[in-house]
Order: sequence, then C-alpha cells, then structure tokens
Amino acid sequence: MTQTNITWIEGAVVENEVHMTIVELSHASRTPEDLIMTWVSEGVLSPAGSSPQDWRFSGDSLRRAKTAAHLTHDLELNVPGVALALDLLDEIAQLRARLPRD
Amino acid sequence: MKFRDYYETLGVARGATEAEIKSAYRKMARKYHPDVNKEAGAEEQFKQIGEAYAVLKDTEKRAAYDRFGENWKNGQDFTPPPNWNEGFEYSNDGYSGGHPGYGGGFEGDQSEFFESLFGRGKHRQGGRGGNSRQGMNFKGQDHHAKILIDLADAYNGAKRTISLHMPVQDASGHVSTQERKLDVSIPKGIKAAQNLRLSGQGGPGVGEGPAGDLYLEIEFHPHAIYRVEGKDVFIDIPLTPWEAALGTTVNIPTPAGSTLELKIPAGTVAGRKMRLKGKGIPSAEPGDLYAVPSIALPPANTESQKEAYQTFEKAFDFNPRAHLKG
Repeated sequence: MTQTNITWIEGAVVENEVHMTIVELSHASRTPEDLIMTWVSEGVLSPAGSSPQDWRFSGDSLRRAKTAAHLTHDLELNVPGVALALDLLDEIAQLRARLPRD
Repeated sequence: MKFRDYYETLGVARGATEAEIKSAYRKMARKYHPDVNKEAGAEEQFKQIGEAYAVLKDTEKRAAYDRFGENWKNGQDFTPPPNWNEGFEYSNDGYSGGHPGYGGGFEGDQSEFFESLFGRGKHRQGGRGGNSRQGMNFKGQDHHAKILIDLADAYNGAKRTISLHMPVQDASGHVSTQERKLDVSIPKGIKAAQNLRLSGQGGPGVGEGPAGDLYLEIEFHPHAIYRVEGKDVFIDIPLTPWEAALGTTVNIPTPAGSTLELKIPAGTVAGRKMRLKGKGIPSAEPGDLYAVPSIALPPANTESQKEAYQTFEKAFDFNPRAHLKG
C-alpha cells in the first residue's frame, strides 16, 4: 500500500492576523494607491497609523476595499456614493442576519 | 452555441439611443450587482447585463452585432457566418465580466457567444500591466475565491481539499480555465466573510518577482438548525406549552458535535433568548450560543386531546386579547 502525505497549506486569517500596508492592500484589491488614500480621507477605510507609509489596514479593510472597487468600477459611483453604499450594505447585512431562517 | 439577444437582456428596443442603453444598464447593474443583491442567480444576471452593455455601448461592436438582424432570438442555435465582421473595426480590448472572488470563479468569463464574435479579452493583470518586460520583476497577481465550509469546521478546525477554477494564460496570451486542487487547513475560529490568505498561491511572479497570494473568502453552508451572526450562533428550541410553563431540561446539540443540557426555567416565554456563554464560534473571546425558545402547540385530534384543551380552558381565566378592547 502506498501512503501519500498531503501537505496542508496553512493560511492566515486576514481579519485577525494580517495588517496590510497600502501597497499590499492596493495589490490585493486591485486598486491604485491614490484611490485608497481618497477612501481613507472619506472614511471608507480606517487604517491605524498617521501617514500613508505607516498605515496598517486590518479587520474588514480588505472586504470593504474589494466591495468599494467593484462599486466604483461597475456602477461608476463616486467616493461619497461608495461610502454611503458600504454603510447601507453593512446595515442590510446586520438586519438580514437577524432574520430567522424559514 | 446559443444566440444572445443583448437588446432583450437590457430591456431596450433595437433603436435605443446610447443614453437609453446606458440608463437601462445602470438601473439593472444596480439591481443585480452581486455586492448588493444576494439572491441566487443575481451574479449570472449581472454578468449577462455587463456583456450586453459591453457590446451595445461600443458603436463598432454594436454595428457589427446589428448585422445579425432582429430575427435572431435569445437561446437560438447560432454559428457566426464566415467573415461576418468584415469591414468593421473595433478595438479588441475584450471585456471582463466577472469579479475576483465571486462564486469561486475568476474574472474573464464572458459567454462563448461573445468570444466567438469579439474574441477573448486579454487577461487583466492586476493593474500593473504586468507583461514580462525584460529585466522587470513584479509580484504575481493576487487571486480571490469564495469557499463554502461547514459551521462545524469553524468550531473544530478542519482540513479540506478545495477545487478552484483558475485562469491560466499561455505564451500567446490566450486564457483558459484550469481546475486546481488545494489542500487547505481551515483554522478553528474562522468566521463568515473573513478571508484566509495563502501566501504565494496566487498568480506566478514576473521575472524574479514572487508569486501573488490567494485570498479565500469564507462562507458557511446554510445550516438546517443553526444560524450565525458574526461569532454568535442561534438555535431554535421548540417547547411544549407545559414544558414552557413548568420548566424542563432539554438537550442542545452544539455545532462542535457535543450535547449540552439546558435548564428551561418555569414560565419561559417564546423568543426570550437563553445564552450559553462561550459556546459560539471559538476564539480568544469566543462567541455565544443562543437558544431561542418557541412554543409548539400540539394539534387536538382525538377526543381525549380535545378534553385536555377544554380542561385548560376551565382552569385558566385567560384572555390573550384583553388589550384589544377599544
């Protein structure tokens, strides 16, 4: 009998363990760094750190950046529109999670 | 191959103006956008809308497409005639219909119909125009995919083999989809909508650049008895009227596979949540498991059952509609 050894790939949970730089977030969300800076100034993303070089994005930053990138690209929303849509989507998600399953 | 009626997809007349087409697209894109619309089928609808718009907003593509005339209907078998687009010029920049991270798929999944007419677009290169310019080193593209796991995997941790459909680009720039299997450790305590980053499992690097990363967005399979809100888990506990009134002890199955005894106090009211502290999704600060009682009313089918309800009636001076009196 042959035995195969599987190497299980260990990942890092982005929301808990990963603190991304603006370069990493830009790469992962396929968004130019200057647009990410605009999102930060508009409150769409709230990194720790004071200057763009020191920024560390954690928690749900990646998810928010991905959604913001989709909405910007597909619906041509401007930055305040993206900020509003993200807040409303969060609220809908919370309300939906409270609904009992049928 | 099936014909696609792009006018019908966008719900516009064949003579629609550019402004009408744009407005119809915007309206439908907002409605079916997969970040906004969580219904099954919305994503597929969104892709079709995007593909239709990519053709109809482009004067050259639209003119070429219009040559097929209005006799073609959605879903009819179709083969493009040879040299059908002779005399038309359009910039073959392709079209990326999908999004990274939707449904385990990757971008660039336009329909066979679209590809046969307008060719397959060059695969997007993560905003870096990352062609292999000599002497340039870039990190490979980061890839995104969604995976579905069981709630129990988040409680216990798990090892899972997942299949992803990855775009692969050959030397001539042609993109095809390949299935790729990955053996992944699912860490205990992961929650829905969180991302697992697998370093170096994304697209290959350019030059000496390192490979990109793969991000797996976690989603739970819907569960028959649990629902999940962040790290808290809810389970409905149906009680008989006498159990709720007199109190009892019930066994509660946990998603981890164990069983807990829960004491139901006398006078329990439907909907009043009971918290099992720390029995939600585990982590340094674990979530809670909430038992949500409901009252199940047994039907009165036999004579003795009817009598039992009549005994109730006599025993209680109870009017649940007292407050409805004008």
